[in-house]
Amino acid sequence: MKKKYENNQSSEECSNGVLEVKNLTKRFGTNVVLDNISLTIDKGKTTVVIGPSGCGKTVLIKHLIALLRPNSGEVYFKNRRIDNLSENDLNRIRTHYGFLFQGGALFDSLNVTENIIFPIRQHCKITNFREVEELVKAKLAMVGLDGFQQFYPANLSGGQRKRVALARAIALNPEIILYDEPTTGLDPIRADVINELILKLQKELGVTTIVVTHDMTSAYKIADRIIMLHNGKIIADGDADHIHNHPHPVVQQFISGQVSEEDLAVLRMSGTISQPQFLPRDFE
Amino acid sequence: MIGIVGAKTIGGVSNMGRFARFVWQSMITSLRSCTSSHTYPLICTQMYIIGVRSVPVVMITGAFVGMTLAVQAYDQLAGMGLEEHLGVLINISVVKELGPVLAAVMLAGRIGGALTAELGTMNVTEQIDAIRSMGTDPVRYLVAPRILACLLLTPFLIIFADLMGILGGYFVSVIQLEINSQAYWDFSASGVELWDVSIGVIKGVFFGVAIAVISCYKGFTCKEGAQGVGRACTEAFVASFISILALDFALAVIFKAIYNTFWQLKSLV
Repeated sequence: MKKKYENNQSSEECSNGVLEVKNLTKRFGTNVVLDNISLTIDKGKTTVVIGPSGCGKTVLIKHLIALLRPNSGEVYFKNRRIDNLSENDLNRIRTHYGFLFQGGALFDSLNVTENIIFPIRQHCKITNFREVEELVKAKLAMVGLDGFQQFYPANLSGGQRKRVALARAIALNPEIILYDEPTTGLDPIRADVINELILKLQKELGVTTIVVTHDMTSAYKIADRIIMLHNGKIIADGDADHIHNHPHPVVQQFISGQVSEEDLAVLRMSGTISQPQFLPRDFE
Repeated sequence: MIGIVGAKTIGGVSNMGRFARFVWQSMITSLRSCTSSHTYPLICTQMYIIGVRSVPVVMITGAFVGMTLAVQAYDQLAGMGLEEHLGVLINISVVKELGPVLAAVMLAGRIGGALTAELGTMNVTEQIDAIRSMGTDPVRYLVAPRILACLLLTPFLIIFADLMGILGGYFVSVIQLEINSQAYWDFSASGVELWDVSIGVIKGVFFGVAIAVISCYKGFTCKEGAQGVGRACTEAFVASFISILALDFALAVIFKAIYNTFWQLKSLV
C-alpha cells in the first residue's frame, strides 16, 4: 500500500485547538440556523454538542468538515482555514476526519467489507489484499462485528449499521471523529454499546471526538466538554458538572427533559383527545 | 405579482447556472477519468447495467418502429406505384431519425429513471455526503462512470435498434406486403449511405451524454423523501426527452450543413 495505516496526528500544531470556528453564521433562506458562533475544539478531547431537535447541531458539525459552507464566519483545521477551500483541496483534508452519519449512510450496493475498504481504495494503493482483509477484520473486531464481512447493509440492524459505519469512519485512522446522533433510534443497551465504543476509540486511538446528541445519558458518559445550542447560539459551555448545575432555565429544562409551560399551554388549547372531532367513516 | 415573476426568474436562472456548473464539472471529471485506470471497474459495472441490460428493450423498440413504418408507408407508395421504394423510406427513417430518437427515449425512461432514483436515494440517505466526508469527489465516483458508460454504449444500442428496425421493416414489407426482396434491398442500398447510418450513431453519443448528465443532476439535487425522489425521476425523464428532441433538431441542422459542404467538395473531386 502506498500509504500505511498510521495515525495522521502531526506534532507541528502550535495550539491545542485542532478545530476552530469564528463568528459562524448559517442561514437557510430567511431561517438563521447558526448565529455568530465561535468555539475551539481541543485536541484529543471529547466535545458533545447538545440541544433540542432542529437547533442546528448537525449543521454545526457539517461545517467542521466543510460539508456545508457558512454564510459568514470562518472554520479552521489546524490553523488552516477550510471553509473557503475548493472541493479538491478539501478532499485531502477530509482524510483526517471520520464522520458517523445519523443513519450510518452505508452504501446499499456494497457489502460490509467493501464499505469499510471504500476510503482505503480511494486514497491508498492496494497491493496486498490479505493485508486489507486483516485490516477490515481488525476494524470490525473493534466495533464487535467480526464475522459480518459479507453482510449487506439491508441485512443489518440499526445498531449494527452504525457500528459498521463507525468501522468505516476509522478505516483511515482519522485524527478527528464526528458523530451525528450516534445513539438515536437505538435501545438503551445498544446505545450504551455505542457510548462504550466512542470511549474505547478515543482511548485507543487518541482521537479528537465531537458528538452531536440530545441523549443526556450518553452526553454525561462520554463528554469532556458539553456545549449547548439554542436558537442558533451557544448558551452553555463546560464540563458535565457545569452543565448539570447551569442556571439557564432552557439548559435545566433540556437536561431534565421537562416540557415547558408554553408548550403545555398550547397542548391545553388544542382540545382533548377524549373528544375527537373527526371520526373514521365506519366508526360506531 | 412582479415579485413572484422576479423570484421565479431568479430561481430559473440560478438553476440553469447550477446545472451548467454541474455539466462543466462532470465533463472535466469524465475526461480525467478516461486516463485513470482506477475508474475502469466502475465504468465496466455501469456499462453492464446501462448497456447490456438495455439491449432487449432497445431491440424490441427498433423492430416495432421498422414494422410500423412499413405498414403505414405502404399504402401511400403503392398508390403511386412506388412500393418497391419502401425499403429506402423505412431504412433511411430508421437509421437517421426514428431508430436513434426512439431508442434514446427508451433509454431515458429505463436508464435515466434508474440513475435518478439511485442517486436521489443516495442523496437523501446522506450517502453522497458520506462519499464527500471520506475525501472522495462524488462526481468522479458516481457521475463520471455513468456518463462514460452512456457515452460509449448508446451508439451501440442505437446500432441494435437500427438493425432490428431494418429487419422488422424487411419482414413486414417482403413477407406480409409481398414486395420483391431483391428490389427492396437494391433500392435501400441506393438510397441509404454510410453517412446516414453514421449520423444516427453519432447522435447516440450526444443523446447518451444528455441522458446521463440530466439524470445524475436530478439525482444529486433531489429533495428529501419518497415524493422528492419520485418527482426528480419524472423531471429527469421529461428533461431528457425534451433534450433528445432539441439535440436531434440541432444535430440534423449541423449534419445537413456538413453534408452539403462535403457533397459539393465530393462532386468537385
